[in-house]
Amino acid sequence: MDFVPSRKVRLESAVSVFLLAVLLLIALAVSIKQYDFDMGRFGMDAAASGPLPQILKTGAVQKPPFDFPLPAGFKKLSEIETYTAENLFEKIDGKASLYIESGFVKLFTQRFVSETEDAMWFELFLFDMAHIKNAFSVYSVQKRPDTEPFSAMEFAYTAGNALYFVHGRYYIELVGSLESAGLYGAMAELAGKLAARVNVGEVEKIPELALFPQEDLVAGSARLYLSNALGFDKLSDTFLCRYELGGETVSAFLSRRQSPKDARTTAENYYNFLIENGAVVKPTSDATLKTVNANVLDFYGTTEIVFAAGPFIAGIHEAKNQQLAEKLAARLIDRLSEAARMEK
Amino acid sequence: MTDQHNEKIERRQFLSRSVKAGISIAAAGVISAALYDKQGPKAAVVTESLVTLPDFSVPRQEGQTISIVKGPNRKATVARAIELLGGIERFVAKGDSVAIKPNVAFASSPLLGATTNPELVAEVVRLCYKAGAKKVIVTDNPINDPASCFTLSGIGKAAGGAGAVVVLPKPDHFRYTTLAGGKLIVNWPVFFEPLGKADKLIGIAPLKHHHRSGASMTMKNWYGLLGGRRNVFHQDINTIIAELAVLVKPTLVILDGTEVMVTNGPTGGSVSDLKRADTLIASSDMVAADSYGCTLLGLTASQLPYLAKAQIAGAGTTNYESLKPILADVR
Repeated sequence: MDFVPSRKVRLESAVSVFLLAVLLLIALAVSIKQYDFDMGRFGMDAAASGPLPQILKTGAVQKPPFDFPLPAGFKKLSEIETYTAENLFEKIDGKASLYIESGFVKLFTQRFVSETEDAMWFELFLFDMAHIKNAFSVYSVQKRPDTEPFSAMEFAYTAGNALYFVHGRYYIELVGSLESAGLYGAMAELAGKLAARVNVGEVEKIPELALFPQEDLVAGSARLYLSNALGFDKLSDTFLCRYELGGETVSAFLSRRQSPKDARTTAENYYNFLIENGAVVKPTSDATLKTVNANVLDFYGTTEIVFAAGPFIAGIHEAKNQQLAEKLAARLIDRLSEAARMEK
Repeated sequence: MTDQHNEKIERRQFLSRSVKAGISIAAAGVISAALYDKQGPKAAVVTESLVTLPDFSVPRQEGQTISIVKGPNRKATVARAIELLGGIERFVAKGDSVAIKPNVAFASSPLLGATTNPELVAEVVRLCYKAGAKKVIVTDNPINDPASCFTLSGIGKAAGGAGAVVVLPKPDHFRYTTLAGGKLIVNWPVFFEPLGKADKLIGIAPLKHHHRSGASMTMKNWYGLLGGRRNVFHQDINTIIAELAVLVKPTLVILDGTEVMVTNGPTGGSVSDLKRADTLIASSDMVAADSYGCTLLGLTASQLPYLAKAQIAGAGTTNYESLKPILADVR
């Protein structure tokens, strides 16, 4: 008697054929993919040969988080380019690590040119740094000397042919091809339009900056070092502000730690680090400094002060004059004590 | 009609099928284990033959290895600097094909000083033709889009205007090379084709601060000859620069310190990153040129480890004073 497959058997056969086809497709995909891996992920030895791209392509076009508005009288010179941590070096070469180590997510760039003068063009660099602190850090550590504040924003300045600012999680550079009032106007217009399009919430603040004493503070001098601050690898998220005090420049620093205990431990570690590197303890008669057991040290002719106050490690860095260093340290202690009281 | 699937199977059949299934699973496991590559993907074997960059250097002349010329005008300083080393004819012979390698790494304005000054490139092209060069090419393998880099830096127009042929990189310009004794340059693609056909090679670099290596000068300029994902070398930047100094044996290097990028290198971005030093260095010893050049950044040669590494590898000397630099001022 001939075997006539039942409906159930036919269904099972169909399912089997389908599953085999899926398995074959997976095998095919694996086979193709194995020849298309990123050599860079396997270190230098593996990257040292093989089918590498000789010429690197520019950033792929992706949509930025918002449109780039055109300034009046300007048109696009190039399309938007997008870079990730994988290929940021293609755009900024050796400076890529500075951004990547500071929380970099993406870079969007585009060039704009005057409708009437080809030589007048500028490039917009919009770095998405994930958080305002990261954005402020790359902004502040690159801040040029002898700059003019750009009054429209809190963290912004102009430097010759360029305009730099932080807006929320974004660090933005507008770099002109020449120094010109017309170009500056276009860049300022674009900066204003960009800032208006990106809503920055109340959370996008940097509270530590308000903890520094305001008297004698050099405006715009704040720097944020996310790691390896003051040459000490255990000191992260550290703000440094410059003061003009008694005819001298004195720098104060502070860093919020996880807890008061953590702050005390970090302060002790930093103190030990200085001692191990040649610092010598100096006596102090300042009553305010004694309230937090501040350590005053001579470090190759400069004064270092370090203390813990609540959840903060803070102090003075490389001051030429001990008296002025202690004066500023006392102000900082008062300010931090006041902030601690407010927090309670 | 009998529906076999509704039949109950016997114990013998069940055991037989179970054994077969077990053997199939075990076989799949054995095959997978045999094929499993614990070490992950390896680099593909380079089947094409490796190339070696030609030695472009010219015979040494005692007391004429390095010249340092002060002045704000690059055309004047470079002409004088080369003259002090014996004149362009010492470096370029009649009928030579000359390759000039400026730093065209970025699609940025010449105002920023991130790329070699276009007027300087043009002047060197003119000097080469004056010496009787048959052909002068100007080429680089930029990180950014090459056409944009050559256009926006002004180098393409300036070089072309002086009669040079601007060569943009193409995939078939690259060949694999291995530096004998090298740690990093092993089976690595280099921008070989335009240089392999040249008789002479001149490097022209701007003097810049560099976030990773401290300073970007004539030795770092050869980084542009590397193909592939060359950013992996940033992890060992001092070694790669030193290896490049051994790999590339140029005829002459020119280090432009007229306006030095003192901060935020290598890209810069603002004229505030620049400082006038009004100095131009020409040398047949690039280690010496860079050892002097870094002083314009406020550094000493001992602060840039790649200089010592290059010296140990025999690429030149960090003790530039021992070469008795020829000094001049054309202000």
